[in-house]
Amino acid sequence: MAIDIKGVLSPLSAIGTLFEHPKTLTYPQAKKDIPVGYRGFHINNLETCIGCASCEEICMNEAIDMIHPDIEYNPKNTSGCVPRIDYGRCCWCSLCTDVCPPSSLKLDNICTHAECDPDNFLYMPKNIKNIGEDVS
Amino acid sequence: MKNNLENTIKIFHGPQHPGITGNMSVELDLLGETIKRAQTHVGYLHRGFEKLIERRTVVQAFTIVCRICVPEPDPNEENFARAVENLTGLEISEKAKYIRTMVLEMQRLATMFLWMGGQAGSIGLGLIPQWSVCDRDYMLDRFEELTGGRVYHMYAFPGGVRRDLPEGFLERLSDLLDYYEKRIIVYNNTFFDNVIFRKRAIGVGVVNRDDVLKNAYVGQTMRGCGIKKDVRKDMPYLMYDKLDFDIPIQQDGDVYARAIVRRDEMLQSIRILRQIIKQMPKEGEILQKIPKHRKFKLPSDDTYVQTESARGAMSYYMAGDGSEKIRRMQVRGPSLVHAYTLLEKLLVNTELADVAMTMNSLGICPPEIER
Repeated sequence: MAIDIKGVLSPLSAIGTLFEHPKTLTYPQAKKDIPVGYRGFHINNLETCIGCASCEEICMNEAIDMIHPDIEYNPKNTSGCVPRIDYGRCCWCSLCTDVCPPSSLKLDNICTHAECDPDNFLYMPKNIKNIGEDVS
Repeated sequence: MKNNLENTIKIFHGPQHPGITGNMSVELDLLGETIKRAQTHVGYLHRGFEKLIERRTVVQAFTIVCRICVPEPDPNEENFARAVENLTGLEISEKAKYIRTMVLEMQRLATMFLWMGGQAGSIGLGLIPQWSVCDRDYMLDRFEELTGGRVYHMYAFPGGVRRDLPEGFLERLSDLLDYYEKRIIVYNNTFFDNVIFRKRAIGVGVVNRDDVLKNAYVGQTMRGCGIKKDVRKDMPYLMYDKLDFDIPIQQDGDVYARAIVRRDEMLQSIRILRQIIKQMPKEGEILQKIPKHRKFKLPSDDTYVQTESARGAMSYYMAGDGSEKIRRMQVRGPSLVHAYTLLEKLLVNTELADVAMTMNSLGICPPEIER
């Protein structure tokens, strides 16, 4: 039976990669750049949020509750409620941001959250007053 | 057919085995190392996608479909979006069509790299999965900047796509394709031409051409037997009729033939992507607004759409009843027939060590079986 010389020798070319620079990042010393449009955590501009609950209505996972905020909010917010996200349920589809009439609810590209207390996954979106060019 | 199961032992080759392609198992009757009977068991991942979709509005259901197959969500998104567009008569712009075609081909490459890792890992070539998963990640980086998500993109929406191309995206994609072309040569040397893979895969898991036609096997299982069929050519959708590409085939029908078909399809995907990069319109509406976004209603009609996924033809049947919910949606992917009618038959008289390899070569995705 003929020996497959090429089949025996060609895989040995992998040895050459031993001299290449590693491609993995040494986290946390080196961190990956997260692109601007990444679908991360929610942010909400309470100065423009009108409390219409469109986000709550569209959310198929029922991850959004409308609650009264402790801080000052938009006087035109007639319901007096703003969205709070349950990150145990959210799938980051961003339908809530698509339907937001004043475009106050957005997704930031920050996506790291480590907590021991499950209640902390009920996330109050950060209040960013000037949402715009830095967030897509 | 009566099986001779005397003196056999039963082994549960289940989801805990790293070679299994997901949450399913195969019950094997072994005589020594030889399999005398194989029986597929599913049900470990039942999420009832079809039923979930019936309970949601069209816009809400859009976010579920990508979960029907984790390694390649985009053909599902494409099918869903196209089915809604067919039912409602939504016309999408040429630019949106090009972007969707590009996303499908990018997904095909990413899926093939993941498959290569599984296929090589199933026969103990541990180096290839490390490389191929890394190479797939470079494509996921491109998805990340284009869609905002690495695995679940939720990008192809009825009426177009949700975001425009980021600045300089096509140049970065082109650079990645240059890199992939070089990498495929490396994979050729280390995996496809590797004597270990050839000796293990040639003559194993041979699929009969007549069975393919009788049972409607699709994808590389079909093309590995010399049948030149591809939804992209036979029923062109999006921009495929304006793109020049070949359908790779092999004649032997075994695991190795399917692997070679996949490798050639990767090269064809690169070829298609290069054409898309050249032809991509600079201007154009990316998303046609659907009327009454949240309360959007489907007409009382039905439709059937097909997309060529990286594992074969993926089909959706969708029916509306005039309400804002989908009356019925049925998913027909390659996994069901491959995992039941084909895998059970192919494994008989093969060795225990060939189970994972054969399964990987068929492109089985358990969530798609239990949709």
